[in-house]
Amino acid sequence: MAFMQRALLAGIAIGLILPFLGVFVSMRRMAFFGDGIAHASLAGIALGIVTGANPFWGALAVGIAFGIGVYALEHKTNLSSDVVIGVLFTSGLALGVVLMSFQHGYQPDLITFLFGNILAISQTDMLVIAGLAAVIFSVLFWYARHFTMIAFDRETAWTSGMNTELLNLLFYILLSVTIVLGVKLLGIILVSALLIIPAAIGKLLAPSFIGLVTLSIIAGEFAIGIGLLISYYLDIPSGSTIILTGSGMLILAVLGRSIVRKIL
Amino acid sequence: MENAIEVTNVAFAYTSSLVVQEVSFCVETGAVTAIIGPNGSGKTTLLKLLLGILKPQKGTISVFGKQPKEARNFIGYVPQKFSFDRTFPLTVWEFLKFSHFECPSQKIEEYLNFFGMAQAKTALVGSLSGGQLQRVLLVRAMIHDPKILYLDEPSAGIDVGGEQTFYELVDRLHKQYKNTIVMVSHELDVVFHFATQVICLNKKLLCEGAPRDVLTPELLEQIFGMGATLYHHASLR
Repeated sequence: MAFMQRALLAGIAIGLILPFLGVFVSMRRMAFFGDGIAHASLAGIALGIVTGANPFWGALAVGIAFGIGVYALEHKTNLSSDVVIGVLFTSGLALGVVLMSFQHGYQPDLITFLFGNILAISQTDMLVIAGLAAVIFSVLFWYARHFTMIAFDRETAWTSGMNTELLNLLFYILLSVTIVLGVKLLGIILVSALLIIPAAIGKLLAPSFIGLVTLSIIAGEFAIGIGLLISYYLDIPSGSTIILTGSGMLILAVLGRSIVRKIL
Repeated sequence: MENAIEVTNVAFAYTSSLVVQEVSFCVETGAVTAIIGPNGSGKTTLLKLLLGILKPQKGTISVFGKQPKEARNFIGYVPQKFSFDRTFPLTVWEFLKFSHFECPSQKIEEYLNFFGMAQAKTALVGSLSGGQLQRVLLVRAMIHDPKILYLDEPSAGIDVGGEQTFYELVDRLHKQYKNTIVMVSHELDVVFHFATQVICLNKKLLCEGAPRDVLTPELLEQIFGMGATLYHHASLR
């Protein structure tokens, strides 16, 4: 059961930060950014596998570089955000595939990162995830009002005295690190779902912004906890089960909201 | 009287052609200054230069002796367009508190009362009408006691009734708090009645002075390029 405890602790840590950031991602309509970082991180994973280093650190380095790269290209060129993300996303993915071609044979690490394996979290992984999640959550908590105002209207946030450029860069880096942490658990392909689904549930049900953040985090934690238990007892892939649990919760939220509106 | 704003030979271009050309003027502390001009005359660009959102390529701007970027604590700003996702659950109270976290709740309550929005503090920002949203933006601009209030076409998108209430509030605000107000406006009648100084812009500074001296048929024709006259605005009847 030790692996289950590690999975649960890492899941709780990720469940705090992915939905929290997802609120701002949803406000700013930048879900593609999450997908972009996740896919581009394949280059870092492949670099780690080829060089014999820990693929997680490679993914983290590439994820942060991606975030800074998107920020820099958005500011230094007239290219739109989705074009910049699209270019870096596919380039990272392509580089990852080329690097992987130098490594022959079955690559269990690669499969783990593609689809995630929360049950394969080691003690070290868990400590790294919990530590980084604690730092990210603290920063998010401190700067939540800044990120909210910037997402709402950047110009008026600036005139309120906020350093919008620096805060934007900080947001991109936090998002990049969080996505890479999530990749370890849920995989490149599925991670952005846990960024979007809890925030969508929160948005359907919350009466205020504080309610939105709280409900999103609760929804994220529920999806991870229930998903993990179902995957354990049914012996099915954990990452996919977590996402399907979240999707089920979203459907219930939509139905519940419609019923309440009809009654009222 | 001390100048709140000093603009000296300011020029700005987004690409190659200048949008603001060699503009110089001063705004006295406590004045209500209106910037007028036809569409595309550089009014909003000039306001963004005053706010420090844009940097002049030539010339200097001083706001109470500081560069605009360093003077942000002194200013309040109501934008022309406040584009945001209206489906997002952010209450009026959260919006105001998040904008100026250090501002005591009592002060926010005071301004909400002043602008007649006390009942709306738990309402979602996205559910407000155009007039209500402008009043909330005015509260947001005022809660940190700015020395200067910038208004960019503040009544755009508000119906006639809402406009009337809005300008009455701005007038009351000025009388009570004595802020310097700089507003971009295309409503000449409002400018005539409320402003103490008018700045006429069409990329260059065309004229500057008291409304009675500036808003003459001859000068209006020069500014707007046709037979423009003052009309009797519903809010001033």
